[in-house]
Amino acid sequence: MSRPRTYRPGMRGWWQRHPAYRRYLLREGTSLFLGGYALWLVAGLLCLAAGEAAYGQWRALQGTPWLFGLHLAALMAACYHAVTWLRLLPLTVPVIRLGGRRPSDRALIRGSWGVSVALSAALWLYLGGGWP
Amino acid sequence: MAGERTITLEVQRFHPEADEAPYLQPYTIPFSEGTSVLEGLQHIKDRLDGSLTFRWSCRMAVCGSCGCMIDGEPALACRAFLRDYAPGPVRVAPLDHLPIRRDLVVDQSDFLAKLERARTYLIPADERTPADGAYRQTPEEMADYYDYAQCINCLLCYAACPQYGWDQAFTGPAVLALVQRYDLDSRDAGKDARRAVVNADTGVWGCTLVGYCSEVCPKGVDPARAINQRKPASVADYLLGWLRPSGGEGTP
Amino acid sequence: MRRSHEPLLWLLFGAGGLLAAWLGPALILFTGILVPIAAERGVTLLGYEAARGLLQGPAGLAAVAVVTLLLFHAAHRIHHTLHDLGLPAGRRTRLGCYGAAVAGGALAAAAVLAL
Repeated sequence: MSRPRTYRPGMRGWWQRHPAYRRYLLREGTSLFLGGYALWLVAGLLCLAAGEAAYGQWRALQGTPWLFGLHLAALMAACYHAVTWLRLLPLTVPVIRLGGRRPSDRALIRGSWGVSVALSAALWLYLGGGWP
Repeated sequence: MAGERTITLEVQRFHPEADEAPYLQPYTIPFSEGTSVLEGLQHIKDRLDGSLTFRWSCRMAVCGSCGCMIDGEPALACRAFLRDYAPGPVRVAPLDHLPIRRDLVVDQSDFLAKLERARTYLIPADERTPADGAYRQTPEEMADYYDYAQCINCLLCYAACPQYGWDQAFTGPAVLALVQRYDLDSRDAGKDARRAVVNADTGVWGCTLVGYCSEVCPKGVDPARAINQRKPASVADYLLGWLRPSGGEGTP
Repeated sequence: MRRSHEPLLWLLFGAGGLLAAWLGPALILFTGILVPIAAERGVTLLGYEAARGLLQGPAGLAAVAVVTLLLFHAAHRIHHTLHDLGLPAGRRTRLGCYGAAVAGGALAAAAVLAL
């Protein structure tokens, strides 16, 4: 028996088909800013190793409107990344039992935000020179 | 009838023997508070155009036959009501990402082959007869897989998965959720038999957690969770594979 | 069925993503926003000597790890998004994305070791 002809519409412009797809691409797109920021940090480390003058130039560039704007955009991207990442975190937790019970999504999300606050505070203290 | 409300359904048509590509055909039909999209389609077939083809059976979100795209969202036609789309028009198309056979009917053979290959049925550790008595399982053990066992194979999640749209080799949401359903069942001992399907590029690693599959599931299965909660175990299989020659590959 | 090598990349991607979620906003806010604003008002945060001091010992290694994992996170997502957008994503883009992450991490390590 020959199979009847079928029609397959293809994937052209698939993100236009539903807002969920556009939210997904926005989430993935935050990585452009996070990656760019990480590369900028690498440049900063290289300048720091190269000496005071190079590091001073890197710092001066950091204050230009363009790079300041990019950092603001990266900050927004990082916040969107954090919200989406920690919201999806419970989906990647295997079936485990803590004290005979499976931890709820709510508990996992709250716990991970708690870790975020603690780590961020520690980082700021360290970078600000207040700790240890 | 005076005062009767009407709505226009734009139904996607495709007859392979006559049409080069699908096209939309409008039908205006009467509806009331309780008219489902499926009943609207049945009205068209019975009164307006007998050539319209679509699948249906139970009319109560159990059989999983009547899935289609309603205004761009994968939904069961029996569970969607025309009142929610008034004044219309409402667009009814076959499920996305699947080959269209005729009008609203899609080709399910790829899904059925995957279901079979993944061995989504109980594989007990040893042969049992009724004389051995019933399996015993605690409510907690049952809760581990119960949500995933609600799948009705309606394929809405495949229509919500761009990764499946891109690559039909991807095992896809429902089959991987059913794999997890049996792997998590305390009565099952078939995890090794399903490992190769899970750990492949086309298994859990084909998923990028778009998450729309779980939003459209009419039975609350949450395939996105089933797939992604399995990734850490698949990583462990991979790392152990460096130590073991068989590499957690399982039987093919 | 071919076993996937994705687990290794996913592990690095996941570690980077988690770090970015936990630390990303605070890190960017400090280095990219607060430092220039403070400089504008004549206050030096993360000055030359201070920055070198902060990156001594284990803290320097931690900085290299954070930067490298952030790069891997971005590389992984960018590679997959190229595929999702229907752009040719294959061996070459994979090499480009993950190679850039490895190179960036190596440069960061070399810089910190040279401090």
